[in-house]
Amino acid sequence: MEKDGDLMQGTLDMLVLKALARGAKHGYGVAEWIHDSSNDVLHVEEGALYPALHRLELKGLLAAEWGTSENNRRAKYYSLTAVGRKKLAEETEYWRRMSGAIARVMQTA
Amino acid sequence: MSYWMRVKALFKRKQLDHDLEEELAFHLAMREAKNRERGQGRDEARYAARRQFGNVMRIKEACREAWSFVSLETTWRDLRYGARALARNPGFTAVAVLATALGIGVNTGIFSVMNGVALKLLPVPSAQQIVSVDQIFHGNVRRNVEGEPGLFSYAEYKNYQANNHVFSGLLAYAPFLEATLGGEDPKQLMGAETSCNFFDLLGERPALGRVFVEEDCRAPEASAVVVLSEDLWRTRFGADRLIVGKSVSLNRAKFLVIGVAAAGFHGLDPWPSAFWAPVTMQKALEPQRDVLAEDNTGWLAMLGRMRPGASLEEVRADLGVIAGRIDQQHPGRATTLVIHRATFMGRPEERSIAFGVGAVVLAAVGLVLLIACANVANLLLARASARQKEIVIRLSIGGSRWRIARQLLTESLLVAFLGGTLGSLLAFWSLEGIARYVLTHLPHGAPELIWNVSPDLHVWAYSMALTALTGIVFGLAPALHATRQDLSTAAKGEGVGLMRKAAGGGMLRNTLVGMQVAVCMVLLIGAGLLMRGLYYAQTADPGFEMKGITQARFDLPSQGYNLEKARAFQRDLMARVAALPGVDEVEQARVTPLGHQWEGTGLTLAGETQERGFEFNVVTPGFFAMLGMPIVRGRTFTESETRSDAPVLVVTESTARRLWPGQEAIGKTLRNDEKTQCPVVGVVRDSQASHLGKTDGLFFYTPAGPAAQDRLQLLVHSKGGDAATANGIREAARALDADLIVDVTKLEDNLEAWRTPSRIVAALSGVLGALALLLASIGVHGVVSYGVSQRIREVGIRMALGADGRDVMKLVLRQALRPVVIGAIVGVIGCAAVSQVLSNILYGMGSHDPVAFVGVPLFLLGIAFLASYIPARRAVRVDPVVALRYE
Repeated sequence: MEKDGDLMQGTLDMLVLKALARGAKHGYGVAEWIHDSSNDVLHVEEGALYPALHRLELKGLLAAEWGTSENNRRAKYYSLTAVGRKKLAEETEYWRRMSGAIARVMQTA
Repeated sequence: MSYWMRVKALFKRKQLDHDLEEELAFHLAMREAKNRERGQGRDEARYAARRQFGNVMRIKEACREAWSFVSLETTWRDLRYGARALARNPGFTAVAVLATALGIGVNTGIFSVMNGVALKLLPVPSAQQIVSVDQIFHGNVRRNVEGEPGLFSYAEYKNYQANNHVFSGLLAYAPFLEATLGGEDPKQLMGAETSCNFFDLLGERPALGRVFVEEDCRAPEASAVVVLSEDLWRTRFGADRLIVGKSVSLNRAKFLVIGVAAAGFHGLDPWPSAFWAPVTMQKALEPQRDVLAEDNTGWLAMLGRMRPGASLEEVRADLGVIAGRIDQQHPGRATTLVIHRATFMGRPEERSIAFGVGAVVLAAVGLVLLIACANVANLLLARASARQKEIVIRLSIGGSRWRIARQLLTESLLVAFLGGTLGSLLAFWSLEGIARYVLTHLPHGAPELIWNVSPDLHVWAYSMALTALTGIVFGLAPALHATRQDLSTAAKGEGVGLMRKAAGGGMLRNTLVGMQVAVCMVLLIGAGLLMRGLYYAQTADPGFEMKGITQARFDLPSQGYNLEKARAFQRDLMARVAALPGVDEVEQARVTPLGHQWEGTGLTLAGETQERGFEFNVVTPGFFAMLGMPIVRGRTFTESETRSDAPVLVVTESTARRLWPGQEAIGKTLRNDEKTQCPVVGVVRDSQASHLGKTDGLFFYTPAGPAAQDRLQLLVHSKGGDAATANGIREAARALDADLIVDVTKLEDNLEAWRTPSRIVAALSGVLGALALLLASIGVHGVVSYGVSQRIREVGIRMALGADGRDVMKLVLRQALRPVVIGAIVGVIGCAAVSQVLSNILYGMGSHDPVAFVGVPLFLLGIAFLASYIPARRAVRVDPVVALRYE
């Protein structure tokens, strides 16, 4: 059930995809990466993160695989599928246009 | 993709839950570790991690929802709810399920018969690769036909076999071969002459010995070998394991048994083959004809096995080219090939009969199902009004209309499913028995038939589809109606019994009742007409005398008799039979009256060039007197005309009228094939000697002289007991030729064969009619009495206000009976149309049958009257105070 204009969910999906652009990560890794690369500004709620991951997996944007983490525990690793990569490119472009537009609107006195 | 993953998830729910658990636990552990790194204590770190994490259950729930079908779970809830609702009303459920079961059961039963007769693929390995090939000719066609017009000649078969590019093999066989198996007790068998790749192509392995090899078909009459059916081997040869290598006699020719076919293999037609011989042995098996060498005589059916990957379109295109090449040798002729997956009854003529009859019967049982549906719909409507408050409350607290309608629909689908399953099971269970009963009660002389009516995927699919359709048909209208409510009045419980109400649910109910009455009448009148048609057929006067006449039928040419031998045999047999006690007359005829044999030829009228088609019979002079067919003008043949095979004719009255209207027929001539002018010497009264119930078309008789002796049969009139005469004839024949099969029966027995089909049809339509009447009666009674009981309060008010009891009665009755009357009127109109159609097909039925037209509507009106009168009387007698407090 995809809703247009739901900024929060759409944005989270985009951030998750971006987080996985450089390679597979587990859920915790995704949350930490977003947190770190936003200079501690964005904090992803686990309550939103995991449903989002599962939803994206179901849509075929992500692939999931069980692997071993850096501290030798079993962890579920997510990675981008080809479809996911395409979606990320689209989202990035869309975001670039939108944020530019919003910025211009906000700058006009 | 996402859908499929969810379906998979349904079956791996445990695994998924476990994974989710582990995934979240990992996250917590990582967070906890990080908190420790930051210098928090162990417990503190864990609590902090939990706190940051939030409600674990909620997260799990949210994740699970992504994986599940919301709609599937709602459906499951609806199902459980529906099942509970049905269990709470066992009476309603029983009636609804039973009505549905009857409707669907009858439909499924009829369909599985059709499926078994004409839809199932042949019972051989990889049957989907096997296609049947038939031809239809157009234009200027001169062709001899043995059996059916779509069959091929041997030369044509060889042509198709050699030149096609689409088959891995093409077989041919002659489907209508009868032969006498010699021995102590000679027996008439159905068999087939086949091409020698027959068994190999079908993939049939023998139970014993070998099947044909190409060598067996190399040259005409080169290889007298035969493969026996397992049935014949068991019943006739005591399952002798040493049968291979022994000889059997077929039509007096010796054949070497080379093998026994696998049990259960009966050939490719509904009538089972008892043996198979190479097609090249045709002349030995049938000495009376030599069709192997005739290039323009159709007598072989063809079936091909497609190469892997070949499509039906390719087959049609490829064979079409060959057909076109053959057409070039026959100027003015064009051939269309009919090619489809091979089934029993696959040839075009058989198909049109099977599908024609099937369509009519399916339409009839479809109408029965429609009545059943209307019944259940009415029951659901009545129940919906009882549940109105529940529905209204749900609607007013915001339940969506679709959601509630869907729940009601689920309930009716549940009823349909229960009824459908019950009905189908009953149909499958009873059908085997019915089929066996019918097959063992066919009239004397009818061919044995194989009838595999066991259900397969087709039948299951049909009954499931029908069940679903039924559930939607009878559930949709009530569901939509029930959810279209005026919330404010309904919630207050008002209006339930008031006149206004009759316009809403009442309207729909009344329409349904009217429809039931109309459909039921159409069915019953159809059934009535059919049964009266049968009565007519059974009591019809065929226009000639059958009493005391015994017929002796035998086939001399196939048993190797030439004309000379046949003359001697006939002369001796007639002498012996005439000497039997009680026998006072012996006559000969080519075909016996109503004996299901027909002879046809073309004759040309003086002054015309185009010949006309006649039926004819070859008879001795006393034939007409024996059968009580009066000669109305002229005379019968003289002894000298008979002795000299004179080309003289006796024609029937209607033939004379059609050929020479208003003129004297005696002395007119007709020209036959050999350009001989044949004078008419007598005119005989019309009769139904070739088709029961139908006066013969153009028909003539010629004298049975010495040249006709090989194909004549005997008619014997006796005063003594028929059984004694029959035995005497059999013994006389046996004394002359012990190996000849002579079929001796009473002439009247010929009627049986004519009556059986109409008897089966009449029985079927009688049962359907009774079923329809039963269902319609239940429906009419239920709806009318429900409608009246709903108005008890209104009646009470009227009575309290001082209305006259009789007037109220009249009002109630009039309104209750109105839909039945309207339905009856519609029904009568429908019946007029139906009987018009039926009387065109079935002879002897008047198109206006007073019993059916008046009786049926009166009966249903009577039921409606009783169903409304009894509750109405109760309502009128009720104390107004009680009536007002009702509910």
